[in-house]
Amino acid sequence: MSSDRIRLALQDAAIPEPPEAEERGRRIVAAAFAERKSSDVGGRSELRGAMTPPISEGRGRRSASRLALGLSLATLLAALLLSPAGAAVRDWVGNVVESSTPTPEPELARIPGGGRLLVQSAVGPWVVQPDGSRRLLGDYEEASWSPHGLFVAATKGRTLSAVEPDGTPHWSLTAAARVRDPRWSPSGYRIAYRAGNELRIVAGDGSGDHLLNPDTAPVAPAWSPFGTPEVAYVNAEGQLRIGSSEKKASRSGVPPDMAGSVAGRDITQIEWAAGGRLILEVSPGQIHLQGMRLSKLEGRSEFRARRALSIPAGASVVDAAVAPERQEVAAVVTHWRDHGTRSEVLLFAPGATKPRSLLTVPGSLGEVAWSPDGRRLLVAWPGANQWLFLPVGRGRPRAVANISTAFSPGERAASFPRIEGWCCVR
Amino acid sequence: MQAEDGAEERRLLREAQDGSGAAMARLYALHWRGAYRAAYLVVHDAAAAEDIAQDAFLAAVDALDRFDRRRPFRPWLHRIVVNRALDWARREALRRRVDGAESVFEPLPPPEEIGGELMAALKELPAEQRAVVVLRHLLEYTPGEIARMLELPRGTVNSRLRRGLDRLRKAAEAGSLAEERR
Repeated sequence: MSSDRIRLALQDAAIPEPPEAEERGRRIVAAAFAERKSSDVGGRSELRGAMTPPISEGRGRRSASRLALGLSLATLLAALLLSPAGAAVRDWVGNVVESSTPTPEPELARIPGGGRLLVQSAVGPWVVQPDGSRRLLGDYEEASWSPHGLFVAATKGRTLSAVEPDGTPHWSLTAAARVRDPRWSPSGYRIAYRAGNELRIVAGDGSGDHLLNPDTAPVAPAWSPFGTPEVAYVNAEGQLRIGSSEKKASRSGVPPDMAGSVAGRDITQIEWAAGGRLILEVSPGQIHLQGMRLSKLEGRSEFRARRALSIPAGASVVDAAVAPERQEVAAVVTHWRDHGTRSEVLLFAPGATKPRSLLTVPGSLGEVAWSPDGRRLLVAWPGANQWLFLPVGRGRPRAVANISTAFSPGERAASFPRIEGWCCVR
Repeated sequence: MQAEDGAEERRLLREAQDGSGAAMARLYALHWRGAYRAAYLVVHDAAAAEDIAQDAFLAAVDALDRFDRRRPFRPWLHRIVVNRALDWARREALRRRVDGAESVFEPLPPPEEIGGELMAALKELPAEQRAVVVLRHLLEYTPGEIARMLELPRGTVNSRLRRGLDRLRKAAEAGSLAEERR
């Protein structure tokens, strides 16, 4: 067989190419080119990665030295704890041990437990596939998954768009003000979003856009988990309210609300828990579970008892999330102490008000997201440039390093990306 | 013609280094398809090939200010593409061994398409052999150039080429035989 024949075969054979691959790459490279600074002289991980030996060699050497160091530390700690003098420092030791985190992997080779991630970076939202491969959706400012991950609702300026996870746009609408916080209903039929101060509803195909409330707080709305038309939101007075997305605000702007809490709550985040009977309410120093009763037959809803979850004194709540299919709450809190900031991941079992601590680290943690099967948490750790995958039951925690550079190609001072959602094993 | 291409490439490189987005876009347009095809032929996974080609261009943007204009851009880009593709293929093989996971390879074109039997045989080669075959016969580098790109002894490149071609030849002959019998 001649070289020419091989060459022709390699040049002409049909190979699959993802739709828009060239254009997607062009946009990413153009963004990286625009961001580059001619004075920079440092190397970037992609370039070094291409020229260095396979990762496994280096990791093996590091693992051996870490193992030796770990054994020495374990021996030292055991001696400390077993001695009488050790009792006095047990709390301190406990703190140090609790703070230990897994050795980070250099890049995300796969998502533990599967599913897909939606990650918002400075250059736009990325979809991360179970094998760790990632794709930039486009030049959007915010994004959130549709219920089965078939689409992404994305915003840019005054535009709301529905985009396929491969970046193919389906429809767009232009609002009168900047669009934020799009949330797709569990039924897939509607999207709630904020445009300026307004809360608006649009059908999943982009039709029927209408106003629900003209004056709301900057908090993302939360849909009833039943796929019914009820949507929870926070109005400008700080009331948690339940509106019907099938109805419109009156001409004078009166919202078609079904229920409202007392005003003045400093709510920063809400989420409707599975089962529909609780709404998670997060404010800077507190987490509450607001009891709910939804009567589908009567078409009305009412608030029930509200209980506080116990947060360590003086800690502030960074983020919280309710587990899929159960009423377990994960929260990230930060303690501001004289000897330095510490952050903690807390887990509140269903019905419990006191938490279990999963992890404590020095510095600040970011947002927390549940895996679709509810068995893991993904926690952002911007100070260490890492993501932490933490099992809530048995299992091995994992850490992944170099997150900011992975999602901000070409940027020297890459900002840490935000986890927008972990979607859809089923 | 190649000299003209080289001069054009050097001009685009110089303009891109001076901040011309249009020149960078032109370099991208000239080399994207080749980079993607080379990556795909090594990894046989479309999404991975896209990422690898993207990363190679991002590395190019990153190193633009430090790039020696006297050096040709194309082999430098291809060196990154093929090395990253090899890294990916090794990681994927390791992952499949560890996880027992199914292959994520996308189906190859059916054999009746151009060179179908050859492509199927290429996929069966070890990644290291695929890489040298792609560098030699798609991108048309000499064994010496390939040895420098992959930081391998020239003898190793030659032996991988020989073994790879032997297997491809057998596959092509089997395909021709089957064609004659039809």
